[in-house]
Amino acid sequence: MSGSGVSCPGCGSSNIVDDDLYSQAQMVCVDCGSVVSEGVLAHDPNGGSDVSYSWTTAVTRKPCVNLVKGLQRVKAICRILRVHKEIEDLSQAYYKQAYQHQSFIKVSLQKKEVLAGCCVLVSCRLLNWPITMGTMSCLLDADPMAVGVVYQEMVKVLSIEAPIVNVTDVMEAHSQEYKISPLHVPEQLAENSKDLAKRAVALVELAADTWIVTGRKPIPIMMAAIYLAWQSLKPSKQRLKFTLDRFCQIAKVNKHKAALKRITEMREVLCKLGREIPWLRAEVTPDNVARQVDDILKNRYALLRRALRTHEDALQAEDSLTEEAASSRASEPVEHTPTASAVGLCGLNSERTQQPGDGNESPCKAPELQSDSQETQESVPNWGKRVLFAPPCVTHPKRRRAGQPGLQDVTGDEEISDSEIDSYIRTPREAREFALTQKILSLSESEKS
Amino acid sequence: MTFDPTFSLHTGNDQIHLTTEEEEYRIGCRCAALCLETGPGSGGCSSWTSRRWSVTSMTPLQMTPASVWRRSLASRALPPHQKTPPSCQGRRGLAESLVRSLTSASYLMSSAHRKNPVVMTTQDSGIIPDYNSQDSTAAADPQQGVSLLGVGASPFCPMTPMTPMTPMTPVTERSGIIPQLQNIVSTVNLGCPLDLKFIALQARNAEYNPKRFAAVIMRIREPRTTALIFSSGKMVCTGAKSEEQSRLAARKYARVVQKLGFPARFLDFKIQNMVASCDVCFPIRLEGLVLTHQQFSSYEPELFPGLIYRMVKPRIVLLIFVSGKVVLTGAKERAEIYEAFENIYPILRGFRKQ
Repeated sequence: MSGSGVSCPGCGSSNIVDDDLYSQAQMVCVDCGSVVSEGVLAHDPNGGSDVSYSWTTAVTRKPCVNLVKGLQRVKAICRILRVHKEIEDLSQAYYKQAYQHQSFIKVSLQKKEVLAGCCVLVSCRLLNWPITMGTMSCLLDADPMAVGVVYQEMVKVLSIEAPIVNVTDVMEAHSQEYKISPLHVPEQLAENSKDLAKRAVALVELAADTWIVTGRKPIPIMMAAIYLAWQSLKPSKQRLKFTLDRFCQIAKVNKHKAALKRITEMREVLCKLGREIPWLRAEVTPDNVARQVDDILKNRYALLRRALRTHEDALQAEDSLTEEAASSRASEPVEHTPTASAVGLCGLNSERTQQPGDGNESPCKAPELQSDSQETQESVPNWGKRVLFAPPCVTHPKRRRAGQPGLQDVTGDEEISDSEIDSYIRTPREAREFALTQKILSLSESEKS
Repeated sequence: MTFDPTFSLHTGNDQIHLTTEEEEYRIGCRCAALCLETGPGSGGCSSWTSRRWSVTSMTPLQMTPASVWRRSLASRALPPHQKTPPSCQGRRGLAESLVRSLTSASYLMSSAHRKNPVVMTTQDSGIIPDYNSQDSTAAADPQQGVSLLGVGASPFCPMTPMTPMTPMTPVTERSGIIPQLQNIVSTVNLGCPLDLKFIALQARNAEYNPKRFAAVIMRIREPRTTALIFSSGKMVCTGAKSEEQSRLAARKYARVVQKLGFPARFLDFKIQNMVASCDVCFPIRLEGLVLTHQQFSSYEPELFPGLIYRMVKPRIVLLIFVSGKVVLTGAKERAEIYEAFENIYPILRGFRKQ
């Protein structure tokens, strides 16, 4: 429309029309065609002229691709393990929660996959469907330590208190892995998986009672139990000659090196009980104890009681001998008491304090109190060797170098001698030579590379 | 008053020397234990009235090992810039308090029935009225240690009536085991920027690899420790077996840096962490412990053979192993370690039986 009272800056005419046919409204001079003024291209948004990306795209925002993939992986793991729906739902909920936490949002995809496995693991534990971390790390094809790290981090972040896995619970599931049924192996080597699992569970329970299980990784224990169970169910010469290596080969499982040690420990325990069987004439050795395992397991509690009582009687007999020896040396000052009478003293104490059937506990407090650190090291194997069943780390302690006695009665404010400090400082000549040598070394290294 | 700081106490078959803090703590436990073994004092103790020893109205049982230790700590808790060595006073103060607890007549009576009579070879320390009002809470007053010495006592003191024995806590809770300190980590500010290259060049016991770690690693032989010295002048000292040794070691490192030409000072020495270990000498059912103390324990045998117990008060982390060995860490003071161990010991005793 003309007559708006504005003159064109280009030609000076007042013939300005308002051109708002198209998207941008403009005031155009008809004579020269120059644009006098123009409107805005777009309307200001409600919140002001600042346009925020997340606000404008909020409606069409898609969930994170990796989160979706991770949830699908959780589902897949649950299906492989054939757990029920509750566990699947719980693990998906945990995964969603953990994924969005700051300690997991920016980690690598590999770690996120491990996180998925850990969520399944913790849900299984909470809902009484125990699986071991070893199983999960096999499934994920990840390092068990990495799985452990992520698991502990996740449990801390989500504040979950998950119960521990009982080895006996996992035993049955684990024994399914061993392909030892009549379909897979020849008749003499085959075993019904139910019988195998039952016998292995009994062996693991016995091992747990005698301190072999606590603190140890469960899978080597289970492997050892299954091996011994398999040997003892049909203790033929052929089976007894089978090594763990060959057994794992025919059963198509990966051997664990630690299982060998567990087998030795379990055999020792079985021997100790086998010796108490009243109708046995032959000597029980770790090699032929497999034949007696059936009887041992059937009567294990009775045999345990007998073994403890026999051990206690043996200890008392030993103590009465050492007591006689100790009383003849009573005139000696106490600080020079030899270890034997200290042991005797310990034995006397234990006799006074312990009750029948309690032969495993014999606290040696008297030697403890009068000994310094060196003597303590000697008295520790004493308590381990004096009981019938003790954790193997106590009966076979690692040899540690004796700690230096070190400074006594230091106040922290003593005078520091100059000569001592000077011994830590290089002489000027030494420093020069050292600098020279360093230079030569670095030159030769840079020449090489 | 002449006071022999290393008196020995013969009782039964043991000989206890008051030389180190651990021994003192041990005696506290043992006294408490012995006193509890005897019943309430019987009559006929008037025969002891003419003795040199004084009997206070404080029950020995009020002196729990932790309180005994705390009292000695309190008398030791003098600021570092004080000239007088604190531990000496603490030892005397503690010894006196122990003498007090040991002289309860019933204890003496029972000891007399044993094979070897009680022989107290030390001189008397006398009655200090302050002690009667003391209870088992920590006496945080550092002046008390000083005042005990100040009040000189004569060898012969009037006797106060003997207290009846009222066992407050059962003897089974006293462990009699003392955690041994294994490592102390402390920090100190030398107060001036340092040229690490220069230090690595001039010092024999230093290693410096800037590509690997941005600090000089220096070691001294006595006390056997390692220090990390940063270019800002801050230093971390590790490996000492006691607080005093850590302080001495840190001073030696500062002296070395000083000798190299830097204006090093010794500011804000602080113990950051203390690690101790001990052995309860019986096996522990970790599975049972994690079941009953689930909110504090974490036991994953597939990852680590020990149980990690996070105690809330005091805030200490304990690593408990099936062999009965316990590692305590996270303490800033020795008392926290002892307290944590006394807290855990009855719990562990509960998991002892098969």
